[in-house]
Amino acid sequence: MIELTTPFSEEAIAQLKVGDVVTITGNIFTGRDAVLPKIVKAAEEGALKDLGIDLQGAVIFHTAVSPAGVGPTSSNKVEIECTFGPLSKHGVKMHLGKGAISKETVKVLAEHNAVFAIIPPVTALLGSQTMEQEIVAFPELGMEAFNRLKVVKYQAIIAAAQGQSIYE
Amino acid sequence: MSNIIEKVADCLVRAGSTFREDQKEAYRQAIADEANAQSCWVMQQVLDNALVAEERRSPLCDDTGIPHLFLEVGKNRSVSGEMMQEIMEGVEMGLRQLPGRPMAIMGDDNARIDQSGGLNPDSGALKPSPFLIKPIDEDVIRLTVLMLGGGPAIRGITQRVFHKHNVDVVIDEIVNRATEGVSKLGCSPCVLAVGVGRSQFEATSMMMEAMAKGDFSKQTEFEKKITKKVNEANIGPLGLGGKHSVLATFAKVGPQRASGVRIVALRPCCCFEPRRASVEL
Repeated sequence: MIELTTPFSEEAIAQLKVGDVVTITGNIFTGRDAVLPKIVKAAEEGALKDLGIDLQGAVIFHTAVSPAGVGPTSSNKVEIECTFGPLSKHGVKMHLGKGAISKETVKVLAEHNAVFAIIPPVTALLGSQTMEQEIVAFPELGMEAFNRLKVVKYQAIIAAAQGQSIYE
Repeated sequence: MSNIIEKVADCLVRAGSTFREDQKEAYRQAIADEANAQSCWVMQQVLDNALVAEERRSPLCDDTGIPHLFLEVGKNRSVSGEMMQEIMEGVEMGLRQLPGRPMAIMGDDNARIDQSGGLNPDSGALKPSPFLIKPIDEDVIRLTVLMLGGGPAIRGITQRVFHKHNVDVVIDEIVNRATEGVSKLGCSPCVLAVGVGRSQFEATSMMMEAMAKGDFSKQTEFEKKITKKVNEANIGPLGLGGKHSVLATFAKVGPQRASGVRIVALRPCCCFEPRRASVEL
């Protein structure tokens, strides 16, 4: 198992292959279809710093944060998958969710040395591995706001890297 | 506070946070029997999650599901309106204790459909589905609470099958529908819930009963055949390949119509379902 700590370096991501099981430790961001397009817009307008967000080497976990906990939503929802390219361009190194993504998205990830990883929907386990959580931006979206989690050893499997997909 | 309210609340929390022993054993056997390392990893994560959830009495999944109520009533027992009201209050309390994900959509008919009325932040505001009530020979009143998630609801299908006087025709159609559903289900391995009846309502009721009563360790030939055939598609947990796309099939065949048609309800339950627990009231 490969142990990764955020923020991820270019070298650490470049070594990942499809099928690798990794652990993720450190601060990660959460967002899904309601908030990720807003983060992309803020990035394109150069407004991330004003929101207190640094995406360099970051992980985006596609989940809501509710009283029930966290768990991956389908990453191939249009409003989520279309953010892979722009967010990778602005520094995101890992998109974390579930489901098969398109060949085009796999290619775009490779162009930015970024990866897609699948995390099982293990809410109780993830709860035991989440040390802190706070809303970073867009609190009006409630459980779909942009959150930061401090996590210890979340397990995930690399599903798209270097132009390859686990679903091919 | 009424004893019934507390019993129902506890039952709902168990339904949302606990794997039954036959469910744990099904995972252990599948892990031992699976050659695909990635599939083993997924199933071990699901099993580890269940152990943590049970210990913490916390949700198995962040989609905590919609409560569905299956009530069995012995012939010498009676259910009053007051008891049903207390069951509803127990559900409300259980949803707050779990806690359930706030999922109650507010507003009038149109606003609830297009979700423009906003979300009630209270976990307990989520209303359960209508009661399903069945008379039984035992001298008890038994409530089973099932927590049904959204992913399987998207992939479930209730539709007719023309049986051509051959049970294998019906099985093959169930397998075809299930294989497509399982391949699109985000969270597998799954359990296939199947009901066969004379109408859409009856078939769905049979499917609910199958989910309420099914046992991983007691599979009929009908159920085994469906499981085996769907697993031949090699979809695997989370779609990563392997021979355990489906851990079991829970089927209930009801009375049938004298005609060429059977109505089949099918739900590809996710890796945590059927999330259920029972309590005697």
